[in-house]
This record gives sequence, structure tokens and C-alpha cells, in this order.
Amino acid sequence: MTLEHANLLHVGFVAVISAIILYTILSARAGRKLFIRRIPGLSAIDEAVGRATEMGRPMLFSTGLSTIDIDSLQALAIAQYVARLAARYGNRLIVPVVDPVVFAIAEQLVREAYASEGKPEAFRADDVRFLSDQQFAYAAGVMGLINRERVASTFFFGYFYAESLLLSETGQEVGAIQIAGTPATTQVPFFLASCDYTIIGDEFYAASAYLTREPTLLGSLVGQDVGKGLLLLMVVLGTVTAVPGMPLHFISKWLARWLFGG
Amino acid sequence: MMRTRQWAIVLGIYIVAGLVGAVALWWLTHALTPIFRPLKGANLWAAVGGSVAFWIGLMALLHRMPASVKKRVAVVVTFVSGLFYVLEFYLPKKSGIFFWRTHHTNPFSPMLDTVGVATLVITGFTLLLATFNLCLVHGKNIAARRTGYYNSVAFYLAFFAMATFGLWQNHAPTSKLFASKVTVAQVYGYLFNSTYVPLGSTLFSVLAFYMATAAFRAFRVRTAEAGFMMVAAFICMMGQVPLGMWLTHTLPLHGPLSHLRMESMANWVLGVFSMAGLRAVTFGIFVGALAMSLRIWLNLERGAFFEQEL
Repeated sequence: MTLEHANLLHVGFVAVISAIILYTILSARAGRKLFIRRIPGLSAIDEAVGRATEMGRPMLFSTGLSTIDIDSLQALAIAQYVARLAARYGNRLIVPVVDPVVFAIAEQLVREAYASEGKPEAFRADDVRFLSDQQFAYAAGVMGLINRERVASTFFFGYFYAESLLLSETGQEVGAIQIAGTPATTQVPFFLASCDYTIIGDEFYAASAYLTREPTLLGSLVGQDVGKGLLLLMVVLGTVTAVPGMPLHFISKWLARWLFGG
Repeated sequence: MMRTRQWAIVLGIYIVAGLVGAVALWWLTHALTPIFRPLKGANLWAAVGGSVAFWIGLMALLHRMPASVKKRVAVVVTFVSGLFYVLEFYLPKKSGIFFWRTHHTNPFSPMLDTVGVATLVITGFTLLLATFNLCLVHGKNIAARRTGYYNSVAFYLAFFAMATFGLWQNHAPTSKLFASKVTVAQVYGYLFNSTYVPLGSTLFSVLAFYMATAAFRAFRVRTAEAGFMMVAAFICMMGQVPLGMWLTHTLPLHGPLSHLRMESMANWVLGVFSMAGLRAVTFGIFVGALAMSLRIWLNLERGAFFEQEL
């Protein structure tokens, strides 16, 4: 069944979580001190760039198979951070792209990253390249690039499908330090098996906040955590009230009747 | 740093902009409807020419604008586009709030296709840009005789062969080639089904070997976590192969001891243990995606797309 329009529960739930996120962003902007835990995979990005520079070999950043959506935008935000580091250290970042729209944005972001570090001349237009919009043609292209360029570091951020293991195992073969982050839960095991660091679940969306330490983004991150806490509370309450014979069982029965007509 | 009161003003502006935007969107989408009807003959070519001229003018204008104005344009377009989908999805399909419509239906839903077509048009522009980039990269390889330049030659051969027969077969699929019995559609079919598809399948099959090497590395028990993963993987694997099932086939199919059968244990690990973790991760992803979407939509993202505060 496809969901054509949100029902009242969706609207209420999204509104509450959105309000929480916006409130935490506002309070962070107002000067509230926020703490976020260390995420090793994101901390390792600097190390990976440094290592590639020491070895005098380029780096590769894949944004996965997403077309223009929230996953690819997050991946591009991380790509720009890596590109800035690459520009600062005088290294190359190769960004092969699968989608024409993502390609146009990626080229602009990487170009801006080099310019913002004061090295616009170091940007090579060939390094951000559109390979193919077909899954395995793209995978073959990236595998070829990893092998030919002997990249020292690979970054796989975005939504991946079956090509995830093809790409990361090729990176393993050339001895690259590999960092992956994906919201695709089916591909996480493959990245865990073949990458040095893997960022899973909502850590992927925390990346820009973690890397930039911008108050707005940190506030958003804390809002995410509060939202998750709310979801957890709902799961616990739902589990407790769904058990027949429990004092609050009538709530779940009423909700089921209201939502599903059951 | 902006204070909370200022932020309240900003939120107020967003709400007002949202309301104004909603009315403007509704009017715009309905005003544009007649333009998107099918056209033929001279009208079609006039529409194509007019659209091209309009886009060239718009692009030239955008190109001349200073960076700060371009970013403002991007912010407004992002907000209005997001607003359309938010209103379309979160407002009900049919409700009394749409009292001015005959059947009280959502006024934005009929415009989904039109907005989809507009998105496709923009994608078409970028496709041209991407193809140009691809040709440029390979052209430079050939011109400079870089290592492996013959791969770039192969790219051009494949590119032109697929483009020629792909476009030709849409125009005249049954045309005969060089007075032979072979038609254009057959050649295209051969190029696609007998060349491209097998190449994709070949690459997919390589995955099996990579899985073996990755599993070998992952299952080396060095830490307690790796040990747990090894045990879980062993149970799941054995629960799905005949050998594993045979090992515990003497246990009863029903009753308490049936839970110790290999397939039952595998199902429990996958359906309860693993599923709980997977759903927790999915919840996190949902909230994370919502936060990221809000940041992009409301121009709150920093560090990348909206580098400077406007």
C-alpha cells in the first residue's frame, strides 16, 4: 500500500519532532553549551586525509547511488569537508558521481572548497566526474579508478546497494584506509567487514554537525536525540499497553480502532 | 549570534512566507496548467523555441547576479519547492478546509505530475552537463595519450553506437541496415541484451568472491564483539543450509526442545535479536533524515550548501 497522504498521527508526530529539533537549534543559537559524544569514524577523516597526503596518493569519495535526495545532500556536505582538507594539504580528491544532478552540485561544492582554502588553481575539473547512471557500470568505473590511481583513502558516504562490497573490497586490495557511512541498513554489514571505520544509522546525518561544530547543527543533533528518546518512550508505552490485561490496554485498543478502524 | 527574540522573528517570517507561498503556489500551479497541455505542429515548435529562449535568458540573468543574490534565490526556491510537497502530503486528500473546491479535495495533488515534469526538465539540463563532462574527460585522455587511453576510445565507440542505434530505433525500429535482414531494433537489442546486460551480470557475480574474502576477514575472532558476531553468523548460516538442519533434525518439531533446532535458532536471531537492532537503527535514520530535511528546507544547514548566513 502506498501512502498518498499523511494521516493525523503522521502529521502530529512529525510536527512534534520537528518542533523539538527547531527548539534545540534555537537554544543552541542562543548560546546553550551542548556536548556530543565522539564518533571514531568521523574523527578518522582527518587521519585518512593526512595519511593520503603523506603517501603522495589521491583520495576517492563516492556519494553512492542516490539521486538528489537528503542522503546525497548529506554525503555532499561531507565531501565538501574532505575536499577542504584535501585543498589545505595540497592533495587530490576524486569524486565519481552516478547522478547528473548530484554531479552538477558536487562539482560546484568541490570547486568552492578549493577556492575557500585559497587554492582555486589546485582544483582539477576532471576529478569530479560523472561515470554512469547504471549501478554496475558505475561500480566498474569506481573500481577502475581505485586501481589505476592507487588511492590511499576512500570515503563511501551515501546510499549504497549491492555495489558497496565491490567498491570497498577494491579499496582493501590497494591498501586504502576506508571510511564508510550509509543509512542503507542492508549494506552496513558489508562495510563493517571491509572498511576501517563505518558510520551507521543516524550517525550519518550527524556528520556535518560533528565535523563543523556549528551551533545550529549541534542543536539539531541534540534535537535528534530527544526525538529518538520520544520514539523509545512510545515503543515502551506501546509494548506495555498492547499486552491484554494491562491497566492501560484500552489506550492501544482505542488507538488501533481510531487509526485502522480495527 | 542571533538571540532568541530575533529567532522568533525569523520563525514568524517563515510562517508568513509559508502562508503567502502556499497561496502563491496554488495560484501559480493552476495558472500554469494550460501551458502544460499537449501541443502539435507550429504551436509545439513555438513553445520549444520560447522555452529555450526563456531558459537561456534566465540562466544568463542568474549568471550575472552576485553570489549573495544567487544564494538568496537558492534559499527561496528550496523553501517554495519544499513547501509544495509538504502541503501536498500533509494536508488531507479530502477535507472541509478546501471549501472553495467542488469536491473539497487537496488543491496541490492534481499538480504533482506537472511539478514532476518540471523536475525532469531540470534533470535534462544536468544530464547534458554530465555527458559533456564524460566526453571531456575521455577526450583529454585520448588527446594526451595517457596510460590506458584505449579505454577512452572504447568509451567513445560504445557511447556513439548506443546513442545512434538507441535514437534510431525510437524513430524507425524496423529499418533495414545496408539492405540486410537485420533491423535497427535488432542491433540495439543485441548491443543492450548481449553486451551490456552480460557485463553487468559478470560484475554482479564477482560479488560472491568478494563476499568470501570479506567474511574471512570479518570472522577472525579478535574481540568479544567479533566473537558474538561469529556465533550469530554461524547460527544464521547453519540454519539455512541442509547440513545445519540435519545436525538438529532429531529434535522434535514441537514443544520446548524444538527451539533448539538450528532453523528455529536462526529464525530467532534474525527475527527477534537482529530485527530489534535494525528497527532501532531505522528509527534513528528516520529522525536524522527529518532533521537534515528541516535544516535544508529552512536554510539552517551550515558548513556546506548555505555557507554564509544570509
